[in-house]
Amino acid sequence: MDHSTSNIEMNILGISAHYHDSAAALVIDGVPVCAVQEERLSRHKGDAAFPLLAIEACLDHAGIEPDALDAVVFYERPMLKFDRILTCALRAFPQSWRTFPNATKNSLGEKVWMRGIISSHLGVPGRKVLFTEHHQSHAAAAFLTAPTRRAAILTTDAVGEWATLSVGDGERLANGATTIRRWREIRFPHSLGMLYSTFTAYLGFKVNEDEYKVMGLAGYGQPTLVEQVRKLIRRTPDGAFALDLDYFEFHTTAERCYSSRFIELFGPPRNPYEPIDLDDAEGQRFADCAASVQRVLEDTLVGIARALHEETGLPDLCLGGGVALNGVANARLLAESGFERVFVPPAPGDAGCALGAALYADRICFGNPDRDIPDHPFWGPSVDGSELARLAREDGQRIEELQDDALIEQTAGDLAAGRIVGWMEGPLEFGPRALGHRSILAAPHTTDMRDRLNREIKYRESFRPFAPVVPLEAAARYFDVPPGGMRLARFMSGVFPVRREWQSRLAAITHVDGTARLQALEQQMAPRLYALLEAYGRRSGMPVLLNTSFNLAGEPIVNRAVEGYSTFLRCGIDVLIAGRTRVVKRASPMAETPASESEKEVA
Amino acid sequence: MDSGRPHERSTAFDRMLTPVHRWIWGDAERRVQKLLRFGETETDGGRDILRAAEVTSDPLLRRLYLEHAIDEFRHGVLFRDRAAALLSMVRSRSNQGFQGEWLAPGGHGLDDLQVDGESDHTMLAFLHLSEKAAASRFAVYHNVMQHDPPTRAIFAEILHDEMFHMNYTLTQLTRIAPQRHRRHLWRARFSRLWKTYLRLATALAGILGSILLTIQYFILLPPFAWLAKRAERRELSGWTRVSPESSGSLDKQY
Repeated sequence: MDHSTSNIEMNILGISAHYHDSAAALVIDGVPVCAVQEERLSRHKGDAAFPLLAIEACLDHAGIEPDALDAVVFYERPMLKFDRILTCALRAFPQSWRTFPNATKNSLGEKVWMRGIISSHLGVPGRKVLFTEHHQSHAAAAFLTAPTRRAAILTTDAVGEWATLSVGDGERLANGATTIRRWREIRFPHSLGMLYSTFTAYLGFKVNEDEYKVMGLAGYGQPTLVEQVRKLIRRTPDGAFALDLDYFEFHTTAERCYSSRFIELFGPPRNPYEPIDLDDAEGQRFADCAASVQRVLEDTLVGIARALHEETGLPDLCLGGGVALNGVANARLLAESGFERVFVPPAPGDAGCALGAALYADRICFGNPDRDIPDHPFWGPSVDGSELARLAREDGQRIEELQDDALIEQTAGDLAAGRIVGWMEGPLEFGPRALGHRSILAAPHTTDMRDRLNREIKYRESFRPFAPVVPLEAAARYFDVPPGGMRLARFMSGVFPVRREWQSRLAAITHVDGTARLQALEQQMAPRLYALLEAYGRRSGMPVLLNTSFNLAGEPIVNRAVEGYSTFLRCGIDVLIAGRTRVVKRASPMAETPASESEKEVA
Repeated sequence: MDSGRPHERSTAFDRMLTPVHRWIWGDAERRVQKLLRFGETETDGGRDILRAAEVTSDPLLRRLYLEHAIDEFRHGVLFRDRAAALLSMVRSRSNQGFQGEWLAPGGHGLDDLQVDGESDHTMLAFLHLSEKAAASRFAVYHNVMQHDPPTRAIFAEILHDEMFHMNYTLTQLTRIAPQRHRRHLWRARFSRLWKTYLRLATALAGILGSILLTIQYFILLPPFAWLAKRAERRELSGWTRVSPESSGSLDKQY
């Protein structure tokens, strides 16, 4: 079927589903109009179900019916994926006998029939349903959303169909055409993502969900076990890598990622239900494991990226796939690979593939001319401040509806007084990071604030750091950001050192190793948050705030005002803002503290 | 009507299973696994009830649901903390053995109820019956736990909360549907029964499917497995070239 067309007015829906974090994205006339993860609507964290709610939200946002869609693009090729699952079961025969029935039922029950499923859910003819390859979707999400004309592309995750890592390049040509080429790939079971996930499981965290905890824990350890980790992964003569499969079981069974040999090498795994005590030897061993696998991951990525830079000679690198969420590795890539700029989209994981698949179909399959894509992550549904006002009024809470200037000043005062603020404005972020539209904000100066957030709001492990947000222009004053680093900091994709002289005054966001996962905010991207940072800077002398996602442990980031409100009622947030509505918690002792008294403490 | 009277008495069926429950809860490792699962169920149930609080348009129900959800989250933490405490005392065994899962089910959850699409009276009727069933089971667990006072105290505390949950759900159901609340309760009973049947049927189909696929695995797959292993041995590690043709057309699923 020849899809090339000169018609650029096309409605293309991208879908990712059935592994983790399903999502839908709608591209109209070559530009995204809506993209949202299913979990934000269904309220089930990491929801992998077919994203009916997300699709409905996208279509509602654009005011179109499914029959107005020109194409629906699924983010991977289901039969190719089934081929991999079946082949792995055959290769592992007879050890795979327990996995085989479930894997087969799982795939044949629904996953391989995607054309029919999409067709029946949306009522679109089967010929309109298209399929990109998983890493094609990652590559498109990384390159087509980045403000660069030409770039090398590196995608890496746990696994797609067969590919686990791929390299290539992308180019926007002068005539408006776009090319994305993938030259070569590394195939399952050899996977950097699976290596990291294996350690995630070994360290007692949830695979595909808690990898960032390993990165946080790594800061507390020393890479003393690097040589042991290198036994698990060796570089091949052609510059790729291969895992020693004797240490793994993820390719033969769904029950455990690592083998008995792995345990012989690293010792007993951590019990997920026992807290990590970093003051005892066992806790330190786990931190060292995390630091060691982090180091090996970084070294391997840097090696591959450096070779890619030498091969292409290009200054820009677009990075996609779940591994691109590793901000420490991203910063090292920028520093050591030779690339001058590294672009990571706000949703580099599988959710972002929905957008990548739609854009790939638009630019490459249909040959539509390239269009500039707004450089922000805010593609979801908008929050309604009046909904918050109604709810709070019904509950007898103290509410105010203020003009922007007054609201910003009032909120800056709240933050300076040590209050914790739930901040909701405009459209929801697409991707795992809260970048200023669904954030919990707080003063970043003391470890007390960090501990309070952990204790009263996030209910999470003490070793996990909080992130700062700072105006772009002020970032270099407080953080040691290398050339090109501001781009990584745009979507909180890089971890950089906090300048030594500021570390004690930014204690709540400075990790144990003196770094922070920084968001450098451009005024145009989130003007109200930017104004709040400036107002807070005028009061405290530092335009830096702690910015953590607006959710509680185990829950997705809030979407609507009602979800923000129910979260606000259940935890230690003192003030909730949605649009121009401000609610102060009745029972909050902090809310009653005179601002002038608490501000003295901040100063 | 019996559902109108809050009680801590177990149903006859649950009482009949007391010796089984005593056996299941007697083993420390089984107890840990059960408490961990109960913790998950309570937390999941809490999330569903929280969702109910977010979607209802009735302010009073919103506040009650929220309180209920917070209770469920707290129960989850109680179960998990107790499991963790027991775990540190129990020597870990690689084979977990028989857990008696269906014989000693955990909390209630919401019977696969789609919270977003349900009316308040359906939700309240389901919650009332779920809480009642859970209270009945937890009363038995409480009775068989004499040998473990800390766990017994947790069940006592949760039972107390369940009484409140049973009460408010029935009171509110009567408030919002004064003439039809009995009908809603009966409908919820039938729906629970139907869903139990569906779960059993699905589980049975799953077991049968697994048996058939396992038989096929050992009968049909060996020659293909031999070929796949032979092909694997010939495979080179490292980079694989991506042919432009393979990623050309978006029509194909393979």
